[in-house]
Amino acid sequence: MSNINGKVYAMNAITPMKTWKTWILRVAFFVLDHVKPMQKDLIDLSFIEFARWVVVPRNGLPFLGNGQQEEELTYDYLLFFSNFNGTWNQYIDAFSAVLSKGLNLVWRWSEKFPGSVPVTLFKEYIARVQFDTDYYYTAYPHATANDVKSAHIVQASFDSLSTAAAHYTPQQFADAWLTFVLEVQTHLGETGEAPIAG
Amino acid sequence: MPNQNGSVYGLTILSPIIEDPKATPSHDLQIRDYLAQLSTREDSPFAQAPGTHLARLVVMDDVVYVGAPSREEHLKSKYLIFESNCDGDLDSYLSGLATKIPEHLDAVWKHCVGYPGAANRTAFLSYMKACQLETTFFFAAVNNKSVTEALRALQTQTAVADFIATHQGVDAATLQREFIQFAAHLKSQPIPPPGSMGPHRTIKTGGHNE
Repeated sequence: MSNINGKVYAMNAITPMKTWKTWILRVAFFVLDHVKPMQKDLIDLSFIEFARWVVVPRNGLPFLGNGQQEEELTYDYLLFFSNFNGTWNQYIDAFSAVLSKGLNLVWRWSEKFPGSVPVTLFKEYIARVQFDTDYYYTAYPHATANDVKSAHIVQASFDSLSTAAAHYTPQQFADAWLTFVLEVQTHLGETGEAPIAG
Repeated sequence: MPNQNGSVYGLTILSPIIEDPKATPSHDLQIRDYLAQLSTREDSPFAQAPGTHLARLVVMDDVVYVGAPSREEHLKSKYLIFESNCDGDLDSYLSGLATKIPEHLDAVWKHCVGYPGAANRTAFLSYMKACQLETTFFFAAVNNKSVTEALRALQTQTAVADFIATHQGVDAATLQREFIQFAAHLKSQPIPPPGSMGPHRTIKTGGHNE
């Protein structure tokens, strides 16, 4: 079992919600999905590679027969899966500091949610509702979300320069090279083993 | 569609695990045992099949009780959660898994209720879709690049950093000639295998803040 692979941490959390509150949350997610500026803080928290929320209605868990007992739940449940870089504490601290309004909008409909600020109670709640990952795979364990975003910027600039390079005079190439270096110089961070976090 | 964000698909599958009091060890424990043996690097099953950016398998034992005054309740089954962030459409992705790693799928999901096996492709796809939950909100930091494109870009990023570092102050004609050679060489390189840690690089030292 490991929640960590290379530079990524897998978080799983499940929280109960009264069924009537679920619909409010669905509306909130619908708005968040369609009004992209509202995702700005989530994007600015640039250590999240992928994240998802899944609302599971109380009678919505897969029922296949074949001897499986049908569930009899009174709550709907909110599942949360995140893939982020850094440590659990860094993640929760940053979430609380930067996204407190957004987090409250999402989780305030869950039972006993204390609010994302102050962070101590928030962390206690997350620790209670989190469960561990049995198997975790990433195609690029040596890279963070920022590394991947930067790599695509470098690739685009590199493709552009390498396509045109043979057609330039040396002086034209020197100018194009300077432009290229200016474009990519802030996107050349080192990938590799993650530092050991204390 | 909430399962899709750009070209990335957010797959969430919850498969009920067989409850058999006579099974020793229990089916959920057998799944956990098997998963604990699996590599998470380039020989991972997900590295052998196409299209997985990140994926996890989790045995969910029960729902969580958060304390009074909420009501305590429990699941009647344990569930195997398969959460994947993958390329392309669902059928292509699941078919790729069934083609490339059927033995691993069968070894894990044979402990789940009603699993038909990966060999029967139609039944396999139907089963996985029957266990799928629709994602309510799916966030992807990069939503328009495939796994192959990401690995290629990371390879390019490292190579470009090295090329720039070793070509400081080089005259224009030499720089142009060597860049053209470098670009041709880089494009001819195989894409690094998914799941690998990339080339080993010694940590550079010497900064003022160390």
